[in-house]
Amino acid sequence: MRRPLLPALRRLLTHSVVQGAGPFALLVLLWTLVAALEIYPRNFFPGPLEVLRAFAGLVYKGVLPTYLQDSVTRLAVGAGVGVLVGIPLGLLIGLHPASYRFFWPLIIFFQAIGDIAWLPILLIWFGFTLTTMTFIIVYTVIFPMIFNAALGVRTVPMEMIRAAQSLGATRWRILGEVIIPGALPNIITGLRTGLGYGWRALIAAEIIVGTSGIGFMMFDARRSGSVVEMILGMIVLGVLWYLVDAGMLRPAERATIERWGLVRQAP
Amino acid sequence: MEGLVIRDLSKIYYGIYTGQDVAAIEDVSLEIGKGEFVAILGPSGCGKTTLLNMVAGFIPPTQGEILLNGRRIQGPGPDRGVVFQSFALFPWKTVMDNVAFGLKMRGVSKEERERVAREYVALVGLEGFEYRYPHELSGGMQQRVGVARVLANKPDLLLMDEPFASVDAQTRMTLQEELTRIWEDRQPTILFVTHDVEEAVFLANRVVVLSPRPGRVRETVEVSLRRPRTWQRLIEDLEYKGLVARVLGLVRTPVS
Repeated sequence: MRRPLLPALRRLLTHSVVQGAGPFALLVLLWTLVAALEIYPRNFFPGPLEVLRAFAGLVYKGVLPTYLQDSVTRLAVGAGVGVLVGIPLGLLIGLHPASYRFFWPLIIFFQAIGDIAWLPILLIWFGFTLTTMTFIIVYTVIFPMIFNAALGVRTVPMEMIRAAQSLGATRWRILGEVIIPGALPNIITGLRTGLGYGWRALIAAEIIVGTSGIGFMMFDARRSGSVVEMILGMIVLGVLWYLVDAGMLRPAERATIERWGLVRQAP
Repeated sequence: MEGLVIRDLSKIYYGIYTGQDVAAIEDVSLEIGKGEFVAILGPSGCGKTTLLNMVAGFIPPTQGEILLNGRRIQGPGPDRGVVFQSFALFPWKTVMDNVAFGLKMRGVSKEERERVAREYVALVGLEGFEYRYPHELSGGMQQRVGVARVLANKPDLLLMDEPFASVDAQTRMTLQEELTRIWEDRQPTILFVTHDVEEAVFLANRVVVLSPRPGRVRETVEVSLRRPRTWQRLIEDLEYKGLVARVLGLVRTPVS
């Protein structure tokens, strides 16, 4: 009975979730230590247990699940629109010189305005609504997606396109069979950068515009002076993004660009 | 006529840095009959790849015309299969899917594609590697896929642009022997561009020697060495050695 225990233990220790938790365990330990030393007042610098208690309380009251759902839905809508508009637009710009000449100056101009600079006028136009927030997120998500998709098109070797042409592929088939897969490393980078920015912009928007959401919760906690809830909000942001990365982005990379040898495998 | 006709072909590039026109190819005329294996030989920069790219339809000629089976070449098409020095395989497709690509583009059914692709994968000796991705193969194996991908599409003309220049010397000799074997079996029409004199003489029925920039046809050398050709036999063959010496002389001596 002793023998099979060891491989099972090793499997457990090498499991990706456990490995991913390793660095965090250290961080939590350090946090616990600093909080326990009470260098700062406890309600000013709470420990992990207080935060955990607040987490349980907010989940129990249903506040956290509702806010979480609101934030994630907003991000999903923003990301969805960003993907549906940003990637095709990036591909178009990368492939079509006339589109490049038309869109490029506009994109650069609007990129400079930035998400937060839109807030004043958006609040006048749309008020404290979902429209305002969606606009902000789409606006943030879309630029990295456009730039990276356009760049991706240009990284596809000319000879690969020529090979497809002389094998009888039409322009549309070349787009689907050669250009898009070839641009995928950059498209995924654009997705990762865009969503990361979008996630941050969303929190900022919720702080200013929000009536719900994780960002709202954190800002609302400031009014009641609840540091515990602020820290809880920060942890939720980090964990959620980690899950998006580990649950969506990394598996997508492993199944495509790493499998095809377009990029080396991540360790 | 059947086959390839190149008439008074010139390609002039405008040098954006020098501001001057540079001729890559000048007044090249050439005919390749159906089933012929012709090598175009010349030093680097003689415009031999430019010539091949014009036949492939990738770039337009400045002057002259190219006809394949009597039809004027306007752009790239599946009647001319190209094997590239860089292989240009699709990294996101398995060996089978690379080989079946042309058939898929033509709308051939999945079962038929599978059958034909399997046949050509076997022809180039890659059984057992059908479902590997290109990056999992050696350079020599990748170029076998490149050859199979083009052959499976049954082009009227095979264009090969220094296809074995980026594999090691041993593998290159093996690939050259396999190409002659395939040609001896099936007699596809081949235009093979190389800077390697021995390769040209070993493979082709006819070696067209181009002069340095701008490329013109300097001389055409008939190679009537007995087939099947193998390195083991030819390496000691006096007729082969004599031809190599003659062609080498043509490549090395400056144009008078």
